[in-house]
Amino acid sequence: MNLSVGRRSAGRWGSPRASGAERGGGWAQTTHRAAAAIALAALTAGCTSAVEGPDPAEKPAAGTLRILASSELVDMKPVLDQVHKDTGITVRPTYIGTLDAVDLLAKGRAKDAYDAVWLSSNDYLRLDPAAAKQVVSQTPVMSSPLAIGVKDATVRKLGWKPEDVTWADIEKAVRDGGLTYGMTDPSRSNSGFSTLVSVASGLSDAQSALTDADVKEATPRLTDFFKGQKLTSGSSGWLAEAYDRRGDVDALLNYESVLKSRKDLTVIRPRDGVVTADYPLSSLASTSQQVREDVRRLTEALRAPGTQRLITDRTLRRPVVPSVPPAAGLDTTRRRELPFPGSRSVADGLLDAYENKLRRPSRTVYVLDTSGSMGEDGRLGRLKKALTALTGDFREREEVTLMPFGSAVKSVRTHVVRPEDPRSGLDAIRRDTRALSAEGDTAIYTSLQKAYEHLGADDDTFTSIVLMTDGENTEGASPAEFDGFYGRLSADERRIPVFPILFGDSDRGELEHIAELTGGRLFDAQKGSLDGAFKEIRGYQ
Amino acid sequence: MRRIIAIVLAVFLIGGVAAAVVAGREDQDSSTATKTVRGVIGSEKAEFFADPDVVKALAAKGYTVETETSGSWAMEGLDLKGYDFAFPSSQAPAGELASKYHVRQPLPRPFYSPLVVVAHRSAAEVLAGNGLATLAGKGGDKGNGTLDMKAYLKAAEGDRTWQQLKGADKHGELSGTLFISSTDPTSSNSGALYLAAASYVADGGRVADGAAAVDRTAPLMRKLISVQGSQQTSTDAAFRDFVSGVGNPLVLVYESQVAALLAGGQGADDLVVLYPDTTANSDHTVVPLTAEGRALGELLGTDKELRGLAVRHGFRPQGAAAEFTAATDAHTTYLNQTLTGVRQVPVPASKVLHEMARRARD
Repeated sequence: MNLSVGRRSAGRWGSPRASGAERGGGWAQTTHRAAAAIALAALTAGCTSAVEGPDPAEKPAAGTLRILASSELVDMKPVLDQVHKDTGITVRPTYIGTLDAVDLLAKGRAKDAYDAVWLSSNDYLRLDPAAAKQVVSQTPVMSSPLAIGVKDATVRKLGWKPEDVTWADIEKAVRDGGLTYGMTDPSRSNSGFSTLVSVASGLSDAQSALTDADVKEATPRLTDFFKGQKLTSGSSGWLAEAYDRRGDVDALLNYESVLKSRKDLTVIRPRDGVVTADYPLSSLASTSQQVREDVRRLTEALRAPGTQRLITDRTLRRPVVPSVPPAAGLDTTRRRELPFPGSRSVADGLLDAYENKLRRPSRTVYVLDTSGSMGEDGRLGRLKKALTALTGDFREREEVTLMPFGSAVKSVRTHVVRPEDPRSGLDAIRRDTRALSAEGDTAIYTSLQKAYEHLGADDDTFTSIVLMTDGENTEGASPAEFDGFYGRLSADERRIPVFPILFGDSDRGELEHIAELTGGRLFDAQKGSLDGAFKEIRGYQ
Repeated sequence: MRRIIAIVLAVFLIGGVAAAVVAGREDQDSSTATKTVRGVIGSEKAEFFADPDVVKALAAKGYTVETETSGSWAMEGLDLKGYDFAFPSSQAPAGELASKYHVRQPLPRPFYSPLVVVAHRSAAEVLAGNGLATLAGKGGDKGNGTLDMKAYLKAAEGDRTWQQLKGADKHGELSGTLFISSTDPTSSNSGALYLAAASYVADGGRVADGAAAVDRTAPLMRKLISVQGSQQTSTDAAFRDFVSGVGNPLVLVYESQVAALLAGGQGADDLVVLYPDTTANSDHTVVPLTAEGRALGELLGTDKELRGLAVRHGFRPQGAAAEFTAATDAHTTYLNQTLTGVRQVPVPASKVLHEMARRARD
């Protein structure tokens, strides 16, 4: 096997980021700023997590290219296997979100650790001069436009002719017809970011590249549009699972290649334009001539007609050489390419607006094991540090409930990050965090039931539960009792996912079952860090 | 040694665009007869120097050429000590380099290439139908034509959208502001030359010569750039996007890129090459820093085989129009071989053009 996955970052979207606590207590100043800006500015200082440095096993080696890659490129495995046979070049991807990659490059942390960058697009990268100068030779390898995949029945109900649908039509269907959809989090996922830019360009009256004024003017329409968003996710994979599980969401926004791989959706590229991912492969400027020659050979092999045919047939992305036609079923009529914002301030302003104003706010209960065992090995200290760091990442309007438990739930403290005074809510969360103490047994299921009761059915927010435990259930309701409890919840309440975090001596099977039952996802803080797990879950809240 | 590493690194940091290539390394190892000549070149010539036939032809004349790529405008910021030549893609940066390093004039200019706008047929036809372009051939059936720069700039000034043009409604992709995509003029030569040509037209046929001239056209230049949003930093990437079918329907590239694509036998689909009626040339100019560098620069222009290879890479050899014409005879559908109806304008001095680019990006 020649496609190996970076051990610590396998299968993840955003890289686990470093703790905000490590940046020296600046949270109070930054909490009211954009979640995105915080993610970029704050969370990587003193970075100790996965994408910072290579594993010993990932030292430079001739014929092996260490590539920072968008996670959807995992589907390129058969193609890269073929390229390996043809050229002898081995690709070692480390998966990362676009914003994280740009940040890593800008801070000079990618050089020496990686040889090349392969993101869905370099548009955002180009806006950051410090990051842009770290890469050379950007060559597009394949392309996929952003699109909306709509249930066939919904398309009929709306009376849509797919080739004529515009962003305004989609907005109207959301407003008048109650069209609902899922999309990934733009701060963590490439597809979400492309979605945001496409929607904002499509719904503003801007005829050219977006400006701050355009974003402001379009805010009311965008707010309406994002009322239709019923699912958010840190990854395209979980988004699809959540979509299937719910069954009542009408559409998904993602790259055409992702949507086309499902058979149940009518894939529409809005006729007034989309943003297209062109997957440029770039060498890092810091690499040797030999490495750059290998990257050039890899690029050439990927752009060879035979490989391009393989790419389009296997991944449903579009070829980038004129001699190879796109796979059957990919509509070849042209679409306008919406210009990508020309400045970092516009791009970040858009992200800021999305996280803090446009999207539905989230309500989250943190069910936190503070049983006696948390007093060992500095576990409680790590929890406090991770939670405190997380306060730099909460969005405006977000409701956060801390529910520490031991033999039973110890307290239920709810705080809201109010736009007019975000600091007071965040200060309160930090205060409550400091007050946590380790004592008692471990009543996981009883506490989870409490969390469900607390949240109730709520269609106006993204509701979810984070469960952090360092041990097995020893007190209160049994797993079977919880299953029964969950089964008796209303359909709306059953849509609240639990995101368990594997930590300390917690039982993987037990937590996996909870994730599966509730439609959540398990995060591993035994291999990775607790900080990283908390941060990664942000994409799902 | 340390300094050389610093230079090499700087070259990559500042403007390197295509993968750097060490041409003829094997010859260097195996032969004592060849002289190794080192140069910093614009990215659009990287493929030329990497071409095994070029390597062979150079070796036959006793040269092994090692190249590093850099944006032409970034070369001024490099310490070129240890190099034998610089090879920017325009006369203006070459002139600046020549005076900085006290290089004797004239500088060898082995080949050149005009800036052109590549368009999809639908876009070209709509432009033609609205008096912004003229298409060649009977009933405009050819794959080339002329872009009326004055009319285009007037449209840009008035924020004209595709929707306001007759016939655009038949093509879904033609909506939004009408604009030509260029590279970032502050770092890439073709983007800067775009401003050179546009400002010349906008200022009534005058070459910008100072602050006052830059002031006069600054609002329009700014508009031409800001409507584009995020820009590519190399012409190579911009052209690849166009060929891939991604991006804006009108993209500013070098004619050499189109000619090289055609020479390579690649399909051109519904390509139309629009030659702006007023355009700037990319005059690939060698700045010799050593006697070997000068000899190589002269050789590129005088050696028939090397000239032929340059033509294969789409360049027009200076003073040998017939060679380009003969080599591209199969592609007259797309290429305006004699540049009929195309006026080349002089490029402002480096400092003035820099300032113009900076203001446009502001």
